[in-house]
Order: sequence, then structure tokens, then C-alpha cells
Amino acid sequence: MPNEFPMNDPQSVWQNQPAEPLKMSATDLRRKALATQSKARYAVLFIIVVAIICCVVFAWSFTGANTALARMGYGLVSLSMIYGAYHAYKWTWPGNLPEEAPIDTCLEFYRRALERQRDYSHPWWRSGLPVLILTLLGVVMAAVGTEARNAPPSWLLALGADKHPLLNALPFFLILAIWVVAFLILRKKQGPKTLQREIEELRAFERENRW
Amino acid sequence: MPFALLVGGGIYRAEITFNLLESSMAGNYLKCARARTIPAGTVNQDSLYEQAADTCGSSLDRLARAYEFDAEARRDLLQEIHFQLWRSFAHFDGRCSLRTWVYRVAHNVATGHMIRQRRIRDSLVSIETIEAMPDSNDPGELAVTQAEALDRLSMLIQRLKPLDRQIIVSWLEGMDASSIGELTGLSPANVAMKVHRIKNILKRRFGEGGLHAE
Repeated sequence: MPNEFPMNDPQSVWQNQPAEPLKMSATDLRRKALATQSKARYAVLFIIVVAIICCVVFAWSFTGANTALARMGYGLVSLSMIYGAYHAYKWTWPGNLPEEAPIDTCLEFYRRALERQRDYSHPWWRSGLPVLILTLLGVVMAAVGTEARNAPPSWLLALGADKHPLLNALPFFLILAIWVVAFLILRKKQGPKTLQREIEELRAFERENRW
Repeated sequence: MPFALLVGGGIYRAEITFNLLESSMAGNYLKCARARTIPAGTVNQDSLYEQAADTCGSSLDRLARAYEFDAEARRDLLQEIHFQLWRSFAHFDGRCSLRTWVYRVAHNVATGHMIRQRRIRDSLVSIETIEAMPDSNDPGELAVTQAEALDRLSMLIQRLKPLDRQIIVSWLEGMDASSIGELTGLSPANVAMKVHRIKNILKRRFGEGGLHAE
């Protein structure tokens, strides 16, 4: 009986599907709120503690460094750790549901979510990447500064290395640099173009639909 | 070496934090950073939530089905919708009806959930694209059982982009063009046009009965 009601009335088919309505108790909701908040806060707290420990370790290395370049390197890493800890607190410390989320129309909400994705407004991109770059730079400076005074260690000489240890590490840094550049280029090529197109469509839709 | 381990651990923890924040806060980090505490909840918030869960519970379950097809993930999504709904009622000021508020929060949470699954998101299409596609079903072959019809409907919904998905789900829930417009931000005329297209597609897939719900 293919043409008979309700099989061919999509609204009826949809509304009559078996549903399992959920209702959370006030206690469950509060417990979930607290658990979510605690879990997220512990995760952020972990990052902050790690950053502070690293900051102290590198500050201690700073005092024992024998060249200005090494001191600058250790100082840079130490400062980047403070920066990382500050950003972890500022951008990822859990708070309230954004007030505009429910008030926004679905069109606005969707467009903003895509824009955030396009702009890499993810906390990782805002704080993690600068911290990583500063740390790497600091480590390189500290290594160059420290090794500048030293001859290659005996074990390296025994392995046949007649060059400075930093030259041996050059391929690693080169590959790392290529990887970072390729990753950023690929990400830029793949994501934002299609995202941008969709955002433009949604913006045009918003202009068209102001009422 | 310990430094590398610590940094590695930090990055891993950071990933967990992002996931947590994304799932629990519908993705607005700037606002999150400024507001420091989760509200403890008020009597009004609780009673509004109870009212919403009583009146829209089944609709919310169906809405979650439209966005997530894996049963376990759907259960999590539904819980997240209810949780965010409860939290949102701390800010409810009556500027729109309770039903519109509930659907907005639910659709926004579900859309946030969908956006995070980028691989799925990239393969979605609009109602217009589906309408222009040749129908793969035999026109004479209509769904014979409720389950078959529901599968077919679900498969159609699965392919749609978030905005079109919101429209079709709202229409299937029996909302009129003006209410769907208030929910989505589209003008009623535009909603009506989209609904017309949806009906054309459904007519092809469900037969003439697809137009019963005019």
C-alpha cells in the first residue's frame, strides 16, 4: 500500500518515529556542569604548571649560561613559557556558555563558527604556535651559544664527526622548517578557500534575508 | 628529554581542553574567557528547563537523530543539548518564545557538533543541489513501511548542509515558515521557497503523499 497515509506523509513519518525523550534532573545537570568545569580546568591547570616548571628550569639555565647568546636563548624560552601559561589561562580557562549562542539565529551562529575555523581562532593557533616558535628559536639560540665555545664531544668525534655538533643537527632543523611551512601552506590551501566560499554564501544569504 | 615529555604532555592536554571546550561551550572562546564561572543554577532556570524538556523532549530526540546517526554519539549529543539548554536558561529573557529558544540552542549545539566533523561537513550539499540531481530511486518504487520511509528521509537529511538541515527538520516538526524564519534568520519568503523545494524532492521520493502536509 505504498501511497497510503502515513507512509507517504514525511511529516507524519518523522513525527511518529520512536523517540526516547531525555530529561536530566537538576542534580545531574549541576553535577555535569561541575564535572565539565573541573575537567577543563584541570587540563588548563596542567598546562600552566608545566609551563611554570619549564620557565623555572630555563631561568635556572639562564643563570649558568656562559655566553650572551645562550643566555638570550634560555631567557627567550623562559619568557615564552610565561606567555604560554598566560594564554592558557586567558583563552582556555573554562567559563560560561557564550550568551550569544542561543540568541543568535542559526544562520549567524553557523557563519560565525565557520569564520572562527577559518581564522584559526582556535586557542592552539592563537597561543600554541607563537609559544612553539619562540621556544624553538630560544632552544636554537641556547644551543648555538653553548656549543660555540665547545669542540665536538669525544663520542661524536669517535663516530667520525669532524664538524661542529650543530652542523650535525642542521638536517633536523631543516626538515622541521620544511614540515612547518608545508603544513601551514597545505592548511591554508585546503581549508580557508572552501570555508571562505561558504562564509560568503552565508553572508549573502544574511543580507538577502534581513527582515 | 623531560622538557620534551612535559611539552608533549602539555600539547596532549591542550587537545583535550580544546575538545572539552568545543563540546561544552559551542565554540565561542572569547566569551568563555571573559565569563569565569558556570552558573550554579536558579529555580527559574530549572523550571524553564523542566518545561522545555516536557514539551520538546521528543522533538529534541528527533533533532539529535537528524544530526548524528551513530547511536552512542547521538546519546552524547542529546545530553549536550539538554545541558546547554539548561545553562542557556540562565539568560532567557523572553525576547522570543520558549520553543524558538529551545530549537535555536539545540540546532546551534548540533551544528557545532557537525562542524567539528570536517570530513563529513565537506561532503554536504544544499537542497538546491539535491533538487537538481537526478533521482536514483525508481519513481514507481515508494516506501512500503514506516521504517523504510524513515530511512529514506534520514538519508536525505544526512546529505544536507546545516542550514538546510535546520529548515527540513523544523518543517518536519510542523513549524510554519515564519517560525522557521525566526529560528534560522531567513526571511519567511526564502523559507517558503526552500520548503517548496523540499516538498518537490520528497514528492519524488515519497510519491504524491509527500504533499499531504501542505
